Amino acid sequence: MATTQPPSPNSNDDKPQPVSEAVQQSNQIQQDVSPDATKQSVPASVFVNSEPIREDQVSNAVKFLSHPKVKGSPVIYRRSFLERKGLTKEEIDEAFRRVPDPTPSSQPASLNPDTQTKSSSNFQTQAPIQTPQPVAAAPTGIVSVGTVARRQFHWYHAVSAVGLLAASGCGTALLIKKVIIPKLKLWVRKVVLEEENDHAKKIDAKPSLAEEAAAAAKAAAAAAADVAKASQEMLNSKNEERTRFEEFMNLMVAQVQEMKSMSNSIRKLEGQASSSGRTFSDHDDHRVTASSTKQPYANGKVDVNVQPGRSSTPPASAEPPHPKSYIEIMEMIQRGEKPSNIREVNDMPPNPNQQLSNPRIAPRTKPWETQNGSSQVLRSQTSAEGLNQNGQDNGLNYLVDDESSMPWWQRKNVRITEIENEDEAKAAGPYGVRTNELAPVQRSWVPPQPPPVAMPEAAEAIRRPKSAPKETATQEQLADDQTAARPSEVSDELQRITKMSESAGAVEMNGGFPSGNSIAIQEEGNSHEGN
Amino acid sequence: MMPVFKTPFNGYSVRFSPFYESRLAVATAQNFGILGNGRVHVIDLAPTGPVINELVAFDTADGVYDVAWSESHDSVLVAAIADGSIKVYDTALPPQSNPVRSLKEHAREVHGLDYNPTRRDSFLSASWDDSIKLWTLDRPASLRTFREHAYCVYSVAWNPKHADVFASASGDCTVRIWDVREPGSTMIIPGHEHEILSCDWNKYDECLIATASVDKSIKIWDVRNYRVPVSVLNGHGYAVRKIKFSPHRRNLLVSCSYDMTVCLWDFMVEDALVGRYDHHTEFAVGVDLSVLVDGLMASTGWDELVYVWQQGMDPRAS
Repeated sequence: MATTQPPSPNSNDDKPQPVSEAVQQSNQIQQDVSPDATKQSVPASVFVNSEPIREDQVSNAVKFLSHPKVKGSPVIYRRSFLERKGLTKEEIDEAFRRVPDPTPSSQPASLNPDTQTKSSSNFQTQAPIQTPQPVAAAPTGIVSVGTVARRQFHWYHAVSAVGLLAASGCGTALLIKKVIIPKLKLWVRKVVLEEENDHAKKIDAKPSLAEEAAAAAKAAAAAAADVAKASQEMLNSKNEERTRFEEFMNLMVAQVQEMKSMSNSIRKLEGQASSSGRTFSDHDDHRVTASSTKQPYANGKVDVNVQPGRSSTPPASAEPPHPKSYIEIMEMIQRGEKPSNIREVNDMPPNPNQQLSNPRIAPRTKPWETQNGSSQVLRSQTSAEGLNQNGQDNGLNYLVDDESSMPWWQRKNVRITEIENEDEAKAAGPYGVRTNELAPVQRSWVPPQPPPVAMPEAAEAIRRPKSAPKETATQEQLADDQTAARPSEVSDELQRITKMSESAGAVEMNGGFPSGNSIAIQEEGNSHEGN
Repeated sequence: MMPVFKTPFNGYSVRFSPFYESRLAVATAQNFGILGNGRVHVIDLAPTGPVINELVAFDTADGVYDVAWSESHDSVLVAAIADGSIKVYDTALPPQSNPVRSLKEHAREVHGLDYNPTRRDSFLSASWDDSIKLWTLDRPASLRTFREHAYCVYSVAWNPKHADVFASASGDCTVRIWDVREPGSTMIIPGHEHEILSCDWNKYDECLIATASVDKSIKIWDVRNYRVPVSVLNGHGYAVRKIKFSPHRRNLLVSCSYDMTVCLWDFMVEDALVGRYDHHTEFAVGVDLSVLVDGLMASTGWDELVYVWQQGMDPRAS
């Protein structure tokens, strides 16, 4: 549905507007095209996603992408994660466009750790003004560490930066509390004592000096206490921040761990295995998850799937039981041994320019292609031919027994035929005994040249006009039971068959369906079968 | 009377020929595909009795994970090799002239192949190097590379009606719809919470696509409204390895799973499971339905056996 896009929160980015307009247009018919809507000549293709961009999904994605840990992961895994959450390509592209640049700027992304760090660092830089120098040195150090961490863009740097900040905050608070303040107090006391000692000399100046010193000391102590409180508050906010980050971290850390363990075992195995060590097995077991988006899956494995994997065989209670020899081979590979039954095989083409042989048979139309339209013809052809097969000697070598004269693979269980109930199922079917079934329409004769079916290119490239039927009937056409029961249909269909054969130039069948004809066709078809 | 074909290596994939009703190709890999050689078998069903004969077999240096028949040449097939190459074989040429091509571009194992059934001139390869490549038989290099998935691509399937559209299933838990005329995917369906191992289009409704996942379920999606699946098919005990929609019935699909069974489903009915075959004694990893013979199905598994049977009959009956 076409919906109007709310104005993007990033007013400095003008891209969302044209994209949203294009998306709206594409909702109706895809005529036109923005560079992002990749549907040029296909009007209303159903294979293209035509949903408008959902703003809530995009903003969630922006939050996800702004996380420092996410920023440290490869782009393909970020995209894959968002795809698994159900975002469309357009939404993902939009989110990538909106995610702020690495250098801090005034982006309104919420939970932006950069902004937090900056504000706290600003706060800290202000505090030292009121306090002695040593206190100021620590926060400044913290700020610089924070900045360094941001620029480097790796999640572990971010983690360590956050940790360092927290630790520094704690240290600062402790330092202030335990060292600086007592020092201040001592200093104040010392000053007071000195003043008392020199009281006789500087009595006049002393009181004022002492008072001033005391007042200054008190103010300093108070400021130091304020700083301590401030740093404690900062710590608390950092803790809160950290808990919020944990939510995102949990997502990524588990994935990264999986990735790491997988890459470790890959390295280990590739180092051990003598050759390509593709020791893969199947998805549900051993294998280490390769993708960051892996999750433990249903068979009770944790880390699984990776077909290409390699395996660190995680034991899973619900894991499909592997053949014993499979496990033996896996263990052998992991030990670095190569199974002894492998031969050196040269499977390279002896002549890379070898010409392919010419096709002997024209491609057959598929059953679903001929469902409508020419399907009638095909089926009737089938039944007509089947009619003729009736009672004929099958010079074709197949088993003639009581049930029916056709290859064993076409005999079907009565039970199944009853289950199958299709409307079109009146076909005699070259394929056999079925009474109620959908005729498989598929016939072994050359499809008509003028394509009633939409395969013009294939027809040109592949089909060659056939003067004689190549694939007409094969030995499967036999339906003694059915054909006898449907003479009326056959006579109607004779007309169509005649037309078909004329247009195809393939099958020469006129009204009467002389048996000779069909036998000839049979044999010809048979000769191909014996290929 | 259903025959069995024993392969020396563990089975990985089985495909019916689109030209010959009685012909199949089987992809196998030694040592469960972990490490070792591979072999492609071309087998024929003998019309006289429940016997399967091998027409020809091709040995490969590395395991074969998938095989696909050409839709333009009746004797040509392509094989997905675990060393990242794709081999092209022509059974009409003498075995010593094979393979006729070795297409090496993928950086990792090629896991899936699909030949275009409408235009018939091209095929796709799905690889563990996270990419999909488009090829034609007459060119030594790929025409396109589609690289968007974040993890291994296990399966790729052409749309049965739109010759330019295909879908890919990946270990990144998404299915992507692509159009070869477009540079990137046109739709992303985050279908499951776990790896998606197989996808296939409905042959009679080109907007329906089924996905099979490690989470043991099969989901049917309508691309016109892909946020919610049309149907969820539960019943397998372990990961579902491969699914295939019936070429003859609109609502029927077949699946095989690590629970060693092959199941038939009708996704439009309440009780969707309409058949279950438990003939395999190890993981069932390959299954196919014949395009030429309604109801004929084949499966293979790690128990080194290939079964071919008619729907409704017991594959082991003999």
